[in-house]
Amino acid sequence: MFSVFKWTLWQRRWSTLWWSLGIVSLITLTLSFYPTIHNQAAQLNKSFGSLNNSTLALFGGTDFFSPVGYLNSQLIYLMLPLLLIILGVGLGSSLIGREESEGTIELLLARPISRPRLILAKALAGAFIIFLVTTIGSLVTIGLAKVVNMGIPLTNIAMACLACFMLVLTFSAIAFLLSSTGRGRASALGITIVYTLGGYIIGSLANTVHGLRIPSMLFPYHYYQSADILRGTFNWSSITFFGIFIGVCLILALLSFRRRDLG
Amino acid sequence: MLMDSVLVTTKLSKKYPNANVYALKNLTLNVGPGEVYGFLGPNGAGKSTAIRTLMNFIQPTSGSATILGRDIIKDSVKIKQEIGYLAGDGAVYNKMTGRQYLEYLGELQPPSSKTYQQELTKRLQATLNKPLGSLSRGNRQKISIIQAFMHQPKLLILDEPSSGLDPLMQEVFYELIAESKARGAAVFMSSHILSEVQKICDRVGIIRNGELVTERNIAEMAEEAAQTFDLTFKDNLPVSKLKNLACVQKLVENSPHSVTLQVRGELAPLFSILAQYTVTNIDTRTLDLEEAFMHYYQPREDRHV
Repeated sequence: MFSVFKWTLWQRRWSTLWWSLGIVSLITLTLSFYPTIHNQAAQLNKSFGSLNNSTLALFGGTDFFSPVGYLNSQLIYLMLPLLLIILGVGLGSSLIGREESEGTIELLLARPISRPRLILAKALAGAFIIFLVTTIGSLVTIGLAKVVNMGIPLTNIAMACLACFMLVLTFSAIAFLLSSTGRGRASALGITIVYTLGGYIIGSLANTVHGLRIPSMLFPYHYYQSADILRGTFNWSSITFFGIFIGVCLILALLSFRRRDLG
Repeated sequence: MLMDSVLVTTKLSKKYPNANVYALKNLTLNVGPGEVYGFLGPNGAGKSTAIRTLMNFIQPTSGSATILGRDIIKDSVKIKQEIGYLAGDGAVYNKMTGRQYLEYLGELQPPSSKTYQQELTKRLQATLNKPLGSLSRGNRQKISIIQAFMHQPKLLILDEPSSGLDPLMQEVFYELIAESKARGAAVFMSSHILSEVQKICDRVGIIRNGELVTERNIAEMAEEAAQTFDLTFKDNLPVSKLKNLACVQKLVENSPHSVTLQVRGELAPLFSILAQYTVTNIDTRTLDLEEAFMHYYQPREDRHV
């Protein structure tokens, strides 16, 4: 099992490096503008005040230029999870999906390794890659937040990044489950992306559109309250929800992959 | 025989969901230790389905199979410690070099010895330091052969193993099969190359439309062929005299002057009759699998059985 884990990481080493560099660049670029934006906060708030609440909700709330508002709206609520979700869903749909479509999964299963062990090794490798890239992003965010004097407690930023990691892992687990059931890579990717974007839009609008409150609870984005975490209100029940969701996806993936015909 | 068999299938069947017909129907066969079994059939006949079922990549619809006495589904992981598998589609990790590829698979199932792996590499003249995706089909196939043989398994399941190999490397591959056979390993291989099957297999089974239509022993077929004579006489055929001979099993008149005899047993009476006539030509047959099996490959309406 460790060999599959190790070689999967080895196969993904360059893409992991490029993803890490991309995310570090995004964070650096975003936070380097903070001092300039902060000085013009009052003026910018006036301009943004003309936008309606639904539009503002899509960007993470109504506060964009306070330290928490800026970090949340520009990075933690949308861009960081969005990029990491692209990485995570891509991984989730291809860790088993690509091996199956290219026929290499048979090379592995022709060796004395059980299907549950193979799928666990693949899932762990995927989770490790997402964890690695998120950790690098988190460390850079924490470091730069200190450099530009945002004044947000660093533990709050770290906890927001943890919630972001769990959110990304949740979407990745959905894609992993779909590809493990034998749907093609493209289907797994497509279905998960639609579910992610739908959940993001519904979850963001739920605060302003009452009819969406209950449906929004069906989507992971509802449980991702990054602005609250940055302000110091960390909700462990949300993390528990993500953990249970990921666990259920993994168990279903194991059960489905255990006896099905390989494509 | 069955007690000692390495591979036994009993009415093994596979019907894919949404398919109207069985891809594999009631396959019953066995392969003993040290036996090389050739599994032949036209494209789409069910060879790969049978192999993928044995490898537990797909689940049988009905029937059962054992390898080394263990159930192919329940004991799949244990069984695979003793199997060397070569896939028909030649799938490899294209970005890995041959060395990395063998290292990865070797970690999952260690080679019997590093020396043996090196010996295989040397004999097959495999290129290990280039990405597999940059190699020709034949060169990738050499590395696939190494991974199947390197742990000296008790059963080799090979799907079109020599495809892409040049004649020299085919000979090396045949030697490897002979060596595996000599140490008691069984080989179950599919192939389209009848001359290859004739050369290295002990027994062949022909599968058509998912069903095993015939199973023959190569040595027996060779013996039968060797006892077939094509005779040409200068004058008319002594048909009645030939028919009355105890050794003549079958007589076919090809023309007023030529006849084909299938004989068995003591040949002296035959030659004493031939000595009384002017025989212008005697040909003995050699085994030609292509001739023997080609009609199984043809669509049913074209067959003249």
